[in-house]
Amino acid sequence: MNRMFLIARREYAAYAMTVGFWLSLLAFPLFAVIGGAVPILIRSSEPVREVVVIEEGHGAAGLAASIQDSLRRDADRQRERAAEAMEKAAAASGQTHPAATQGAMASLSRPILRIVPTPADIASAAPGQAQSEAVRRHLTDDTPKDQRLDAVVFLTRDAQGRPAARVWSARATDDTVEDFVRDALRSANRRSVFESAGIDSSVVEATEKFRPDVKAFSPQSTGSGEVSFRDRLPMLMGLAGGFLLWSLIITGASILLNSVMEEKSNKILEVLLSSASTTEILTGKVLGVALLTLTMLLAWGGLGVGALAIFQPDYAVMVGEILVQGGMLAWFVAFMVGGYLMYAVLFAAIGAFCETPRDAQTLMGPIMMVLVVPIMIMSMALKTPDAPVIQILSWVPFFTPFLMMARLHSNPPVVELIGAMAGMFAFALLMVWVSGRAFRAGALSDVKLSWKSFGQAIRGGGN
Amino acid sequence: MTAALTLEGVSKRYGEFQAVRDLSFEVPKGSICGFLGPNGAGKTSTIRMILGLQPATSGRIEILGADDGRRVRDRIGFLPEERGLYKKMTPVDAIAFFGSLKGLPLGEGRKRAREMLDAQGLGASKRKKMKELSKGMAQKVQLISSVVHRPEFVILDEPFSGLDPVNQQGLEQMIRGLAADGATVLFSTHVMQHAERLCDKVVLLARGRKAFEGTVAEARATSRRFLELEGAIAPDQAERLPGVAGVEVVSDDGEVRVLKAALAQGAQGQEALKAAFLTGLDVRRFELREPSLHDAFIDLTGDRPDVDQSVKPTGVEAAR
Repeated sequence: MNRMFLIARREYAAYAMTVGFWLSLLAFPLFAVIGGAVPILIRSSEPVREVVVIEEGHGAAGLAASIQDSLRRDADRQRERAAEAMEKAAAASGQTHPAATQGAMASLSRPILRIVPTPADIASAAPGQAQSEAVRRHLTDDTPKDQRLDAVVFLTRDAQGRPAARVWSARATDDTVEDFVRDALRSANRRSVFESAGIDSSVVEATEKFRPDVKAFSPQSTGSGEVSFRDRLPMLMGLAGGFLLWSLIITGASILLNSVMEEKSNKILEVLLSSASTTEILTGKVLGVALLTLTMLLAWGGLGVGALAIFQPDYAVMVGEILVQGGMLAWFVAFMVGGYLMYAVLFAAIGAFCETPRDAQTLMGPIMMVLVVPIMIMSMALKTPDAPVIQILSWVPFFTPFLMMARLHSNPPVVELIGAMAGMFAFALLMVWVSGRAFRAGALSDVKLSWKSFGQAIRGGGN
Repeated sequence: MTAALTLEGVSKRYGEFQAVRDLSFEVPKGSICGFLGPNGAGKTSTIRMILGLQPATSGRIEILGADDGRRVRDRIGFLPEERGLYKKMTPVDAIAFFGSLKGLPLGEGRKRAREMLDAQGLGASKRKKMKELSKGMAQKVQLISSVVHRPEFVILDEPFSGLDPVNQQGLEQMIRGLAADGATVLFSTHVMQHAERLCDKVVLLARGRKAFEGTVAEARATSRRFLELEGAIAPDQAERLPGVAGVEVVSDDGEVRVLKAALAQGAQGQEALKAAFLTGLDVRRFELREPSLHDAFIDLTGDRPDVDQSVKPTGVEAAR
């Protein structure tokens, strides 16, 4: 027993006493924040496209005004949505959001394009070749910045009198202006058709502006029945928990794989085997890396809880309730232990046969493919947690920790939860037995890793 | 003298391959025993069985009174053939860690590690990381790791490989020191000179079988004395010399040959030499030699062990 703890202690210290470990530990939440902020940054830094709108002929008269009108209504709509989102968030947290947050929301509701005056050379160019050439001159990268345009839109009407357009864009792949013009002309056409049918334009406008007030209700809601953010939080936490479990288990198991590979290549395993039993070595290493994983979890969890408590104390209370009173934390720990044990011993056994990561590829390739499956299915489990396919896959021990975690919010039957967990632990124990035999054989073997050699090691225990 | 290690009819088979066959020998307590044999003779397999890392296919092993090396692992020190230590650890931490696995408290392990490193001239490297040490230094550290807990039985698998002559000499002193402190030492090697200088007893292994067990002197006695002749001499001319029982051509450059003429039991080399000069043989160099362990090994196993050129010859060889 003492040897096991000595090995665990060395294993833990070998990583925890390095600067690299703590840097990578802090890098994860940092990159998570950056990853979350990137779409907002991209959206807020997106340039407002400068567009010239030209009506071709008298038939197209009024279409440019429709585009302008559509642009104004689009801006109004985005402002309304931003304000609504802010209100909902404030209502959920009971706090008024700081000016910086409001500024960020405002930057997201900027218009996507701005209509600018038509340059004289385009306005004076004769329709056809000359006009096309004038347009091209303003859309190329060679054009001086103050004269450069993002798009030129020629508005016209087709033979049936319906609005149509030709859109010249600086970039062939950018269809933002094209899409906007299409929507605007569709709207203009609809209004024209309704007015032709004798419906007043104010009625048309009011109808288009109408946004129904839809409220969601569910018996699972914790309040009066109306679904709130609080009700959706367990789902988000389940998904986050599933991903966190996956990251921690795979990180821990990979650390173990590399550690055993290093000892194998340095011939330290043979010395260890002369000083301790296979069980003591394997258990010590698994325990040491488990403590390392726990350190990571506590560091990430501590940072998350700290940030939430400082910036969103009400959310922190909600999260705490779900974790503790809802039992999510207990399930998380149980799935973490079983999942880690299952993968860690398997990776350690593979490491005992390998001296380099390349040696390990034979078996690691298929295992990594298996590991991708829960990642793909977890997001599906959010909306349809009780779909038969997801239910069945939850019983596969390799997937149980991740899928069950993602399904927790839907309150799956206790029988299913306990059964899948029992299966997972039974399989984990089987893996401990199987991997223990393979580990012992691999540690003293010079045979290269293959499915055959791994199978022989399990059957013969290396003897 | 009681035996610290006894092997009786031990065999080891890996699938179709028979690595060790019906091996029996004893190592007396407090002795230095050389476990000799060419590469692939079965030395490492036998050592692993002694340590209990691998079970024997058949036979019985008793070490320090236990029938399984794992039961007395804290009383055994082991240096494997291919060596390595945790690269990012300091020598003191590495030695203390391996000592702690053998039951030595970490604090005591560190204290002993510092003392032993100082004694081996590695005092200046105590705080360096293992990856910063030279190969010779790292090997010394590993040897210290294997004996820091003061084991009763020390097993060293090819301890001299990769060491320069100075470090080999240092290691020989360490092994003598271990025995002087009462430990039993079993070391494997395929370089006979080390065994010749160190061992109270040798066990010769060839193709998995024991070829000899006894003292170095007894091993040498299994071979004949011989006369080495160099000159323009034909092998059949040498064979006709009195007392010569057989001739082996050691080298032949077309004109000058080196011949090894084995002497018959009781024959005197002087008579053969006298006859060679009297018959007018073109003898340009001659040497009357006692058989070395190397010669005995060849005679006993029919195999040719590696010769470590860095090791200076001793005894009769040194007189050349």
